[in-house]
Amino acid sequence: MNHKNWFFNALFSLAGGLLVIFVILPLFSTLLATTPAAFLMSFSDPEVLHSIGLTFGAAAIATSLALVTGVPLAYLLARHRFRGKRLLEAIINLPVVIPHTAAGVALLLVFGRRGLIGQWLSPLGIAFTDNIGGIVVAMLFVSLPFLVNLSREAFAMVDEELERVAFTDGASQSQAFWHITLPLAWRGVLGGAVMMWARGISEFGAVVILAYNPKIAPVLVFERFEGFGLNAAEPIALLLILVALVVFILLRLALMPEKAQD
Amino acid sequence: MIVFAAGSLIIPFGDLQKAFESKYPNIDVRAQYHGSIQVIRQVTDLHLPIDVIATADASLVPSLMYAVNDPDTGKPYASWDIRFATNHLAIAYRPESKYASQINADNWYTILSRPDVKVGITDPRFDAAGYRALMVFALAQQYYHQPTIFSNMFKGKFSFPLGYFYEDGLTTITVPEIVETAPGSNIIVRGASMEEIALLQSGDVDYTFEYESVILQQGLQMVHLPDALNLGEATYDQTYHQVEVDLNYQRFATVKPQFVGERIAYGITIPSNAPHPDAAAEFISFLLSPQGRAIMQANHQPLFNPVTADQYSNLPATLQTLCKPAYTP
Repeated sequence: MNHKNWFFNALFSLAGGLLVIFVILPLFSTLLATTPAAFLMSFSDPEVLHSIGLTFGAAAIATSLALVTGVPLAYLLARHRFRGKRLLEAIINLPVVIPHTAAGVALLLVFGRRGLIGQWLSPLGIAFTDNIGGIVVAMLFVSLPFLVNLSREAFAMVDEELERVAFTDGASQSQAFWHITLPLAWRGVLGGAVMMWARGISEFGAVVILAYNPKIAPVLVFERFEGFGLNAAEPIALLLILVALVVFILLRLALMPEKAQD
Repeated sequence: MIVFAAGSLIIPFGDLQKAFESKYPNIDVRAQYHGSIQVIRQVTDLHLPIDVIATADASLVPSLMYAVNDPDTGKPYASWDIRFATNHLAIAYRPESKYASQINADNWYTILSRPDVKVGITDPRFDAAGYRALMVFALAQQYYHQPTIFSNMFKGKFSFPLGYFYEDGLTTITVPEIVETAPGSNIIVRGASMEEIALLQSGDVDYTFEYESVILQQGLQMVHLPDALNLGEATYDQTYHQVEVDLNYQRFATVKPQFVGERIAYGITIPSNAPHPDAAAEFISFLLSPQGRAIMQANHQPLFNPVTADQYSNLPATLQTLCKPAYTP
């Protein structure tokens, strides 16, 4: 390695290292600020445990809904050119740029009791305000770009030639998708699902407008902070960070061993 | 200069801020609006440097700020409080709200307790309109001579129930540490009243307890509550005193969680750790000036005349000329 390369690498490591420290420092401070006793208490706080279960569950439902709708869409976007494709991709990415409180208000206009869809569902007893349904639609809305984009990239990486070979061997498009493309792309799709699930868990702004109750973990952290101060919020924040970290690492290891080996 | 004010002041204080900034172009006002208890906690618990504190319940300033010392200076967070405006509590609704054509000042409590009617109440742990709404139900039991008004409205609606005790002419309502509506409850709790207004406008709430000034500012329909219930009439102060809301937990040393019913009085003060106390005093002078009065009046929230101050001798000199000492027994 010559001198110039050494300098280049050192400079980039320093720049990147600062960013990593920027991420780790707040997490570490939360860890240090929380007394072990308060942290253990939050384990036995039924409201906290229930809230974490609700958060993970609702995010999983949102991700499942996106898997059955977003994966077909991602495949179409990866394989076909058509008029309005750019527009469609822009629409899919809109939730990334819309402020999430604004997304919550917009969802209220659709899923609220008198909303476009909500007015038909509410006589059937399906409610979205202050209900898990509202949590799921809010999480779905803000996090679906992760699944669609990562799945689309995964499908695009699969050589189209392989599908054509399958066609010439007499396979239908459906057979080619299920037996060739999806087996080659599934890690990318599941990686997208994990990212989407994680993004759903962390959502606050859109959820709190539709459903303050039942309280998902980010709402509970905010409520404890607003109502009872920093000391009350820290143990839950820490628990949430740790649980999310462990689940996230495990899922990544299980689903993406190839990437981990890189 | 940083102003933290009660959510119900957002529109009049927005106008006030604009007028103030055009008169004093070198002062940049930054305002935030929260539930009244939250506003104070930003100073006493989070130690944020704030110049003006305006709450919808003036009695919060003595109980939450006089009594707590800033650890940096050893002085209380506040030592005076100007009671500048009142309001009336009322029920906001829209023409589309369920039973909108039937509701009136005599039957509101039966309509609000119907299971198909969604009622917005702000969190009584954080917001003055929330605990005042609870007071209204207790006062209504006596006023209408109906002993089940409170339980019809609240029984079974929360995962952890509200307490209701009556002894020697005093009704005490206790609020549990966890406020969470039970599944199927027709009560929708939010942290601040503006969120309830948003839900009212989207049709997800049929009725919400709100200050008259806000209802008029927002152009909503209103059920006027009788004077014995609306917490806005000086002549009924003794009636209002018959009810009290206690937060039934002792989580913080800083909060004396007990709210006694009384005529609504908005309070304003300058925290002892304010970074810009002079600009803050200018802002309050402006609020109390004829121009400030006119702005508040135009937003349906007239100021008291005269404005009174608790702990008058501690006021900055510039503000003393604008207030009278509050009567202290």
